[in-house]
Amino acid sequence: MKIQKKRKKIFILICTTVLLLLVLMPFFLMLLTSLKTMPEIMSPKFKVFPEKWLFSNYADAMKRGNWPRYMGNTLFVTGTTVIISLIINSLAGYSFARISFRGRNVLFFFALIGMMVPAQVTMIPVFIILKNFPLVGGNSILGAGGTGFINTYAGLILPYIAGPFGVFLCRQFYMNFPASLDDAAKMDGCSRFTAYLRIYFPLSKPILATLAVLKATQTWNDYMWPLIMINKEDMMTAQVAVVTKFTSEMSIQWNLLMAATAIIISPLFVLFLFTQKYFVEGIVTTGIKG
Amino acid sequence: MVLLPLVIVIINSFTNYDLYKTHDFVGLNNYKTLLADPLFKKALGNTLIYTALYLIPSMVLGLLLALLLSGENRGVAIFRTGFYLPYIISMVCASTIWMWMFDPAAGFLNQALTALGIPPSIWLKDPKLAMLCVVFVSLWKNLGYCMLINLSGIKAIPGYLYEAAEIDGANSFKQFCHITVPMLQPTTFFLFITTCISSFNVFEQVNVLTNGGPMNTTTTIVHQIYIRGFGEFKMGYASAISVVLLLIVSVITLINLKYGNQGLDTDIG
Repeated sequence: MKIQKKRKKIFILICTTVLLLLVLMPFFLMLLTSLKTMPEIMSPKFKVFPEKWLFSNYADAMKRGNWPRYMGNTLFVTGTTVIISLIINSLAGYSFARISFRGRNVLFFFALIGMMVPAQVTMIPVFIILKNFPLVGGNSILGAGGTGFINTYAGLILPYIAGPFGVFLCRQFYMNFPASLDDAAKMDGCSRFTAYLRIYFPLSKPILATLAVLKATQTWNDYMWPLIMINKEDMMTAQVAVVTKFTSEMSIQWNLLMAATAIIISPLFVLFLFTQKYFVEGIVTTGIKG
Repeated sequence: MVLLPLVIVIINSFTNYDLYKTHDFVGLNNYKTLLADPLFKKALGNTLIYTALYLIPSMVLGLLLALLLSGENRGVAIFRTGFYLPYIISMVCASTIWMWMFDPAAGFLNQALTALGIPPSIWLKDPKLAMLCVVFVSLWKNLGYCMLINLSGIKAIPGYLYEAAEIDGANSFKQFCHITVPMLQPTTFFLFITTCISSFNVFEQVNVLTNGGPMNTTTTIVHQIYIRGFGEFKMGYASAISVVLLLIVSVITLINLKYGNQGLDTDIG
């Protein structure tokens, strides 16, 4: 019985190890390819390791267009989105959880509907709204004539922070707080806002960390929205730039493409290694699919 | 605010808006064109094929992985992290990596096949294989997600059920069939719904890997919305396609609300 169990365990271990190596293989191959020369990649004889480790590929890849600018754009959009959406979501989540006001349930119901409608369905109307936004980007008060939010940071950030998902997450979190907490705060003479600031906000670190990690990955990884919203070179985000700068030509420079891909992935890997707990929590508690 | 985009997309689906000048009411014309459009039919069919090919493997493999990795010790945690890594990168990066893997001349797959003496293939450029390749990339990227959701479901099953079964003499296969599968049913249903919805919305990998080709064998509903709306600037027509997509997603969501027995906590994907 015992030997059988041990055998089974070893069998499972071997199976999962082989599977894991298969799943992770593309990453290793990406790194190795990013260090090879083009003739080496094109040669029909495959060698695992590059003949000469060509680290200059990374520098060359970053010279295809203005990469510092693309990375800066992505970083700025991601950072701003995370900060603004954390503030809004936590405040709104608190209001929905603790303050009873007229139409609260109706409003919350609409927020839920908004969460169920995928971004792909609303990409046309949201684009039309942002393009015809009154008094922005040369638009008249009726929203005609100019380009609106096209090619602006605001055009990228606004749809990202508008999602009601974070509000929902914060509301669920604050609902679990005991009501006596509010009563105690009231007794001590706290206003609603001070109660939020002094009691709820400091206690919401785990939910805010989870939300921040989710938002940061989503924004950093998004391709569809910048693809639609941006058509000017120096406003591109990294995800759009890697596609337009490397894959549109006839003979693709695979080594440079893999180098650029590795560079875009690396900040996420670092973030993941340090905040793994929040990543996993975010996915499990919400089931959100990126 | 939430309903505004929906109202706008429905209104625009009855117009011939081109983003610049024309914005006239054309009645049901867009929908009539839609019904006759061979490319839309193709896209609808492709999306169904994608969903069918992606749905079952992702759920089965996710469950199997979760079973293998449901242990508690530190080594298992490292394995889980490894399987989860592809899920955190962007679909674009996953696509560029696999674009190289699939490349007929320089790609790893063909070089490995030649080395093994198996005739190479042209993968993404082969009308028969292209959709399978797209499905494979999605599968590779999202396997970690399916595993994680299944794992959280397995963890929630009370341990005494297994203890009781062991005393009754049930082997691990029987335990799996009679405890894990039925107890996991809400999780499976949830995964089924979210996977269906995300499959109908598939776009990024298609746009990067194949751009709908070869011979439109991989174009999908959202890819058509993008091409019509932002390639040809037929906003009215693209809105009509969006409305069709909205209807499909609504039906799936209604099924979820009706039969999903999980709380709102996890119902939304």
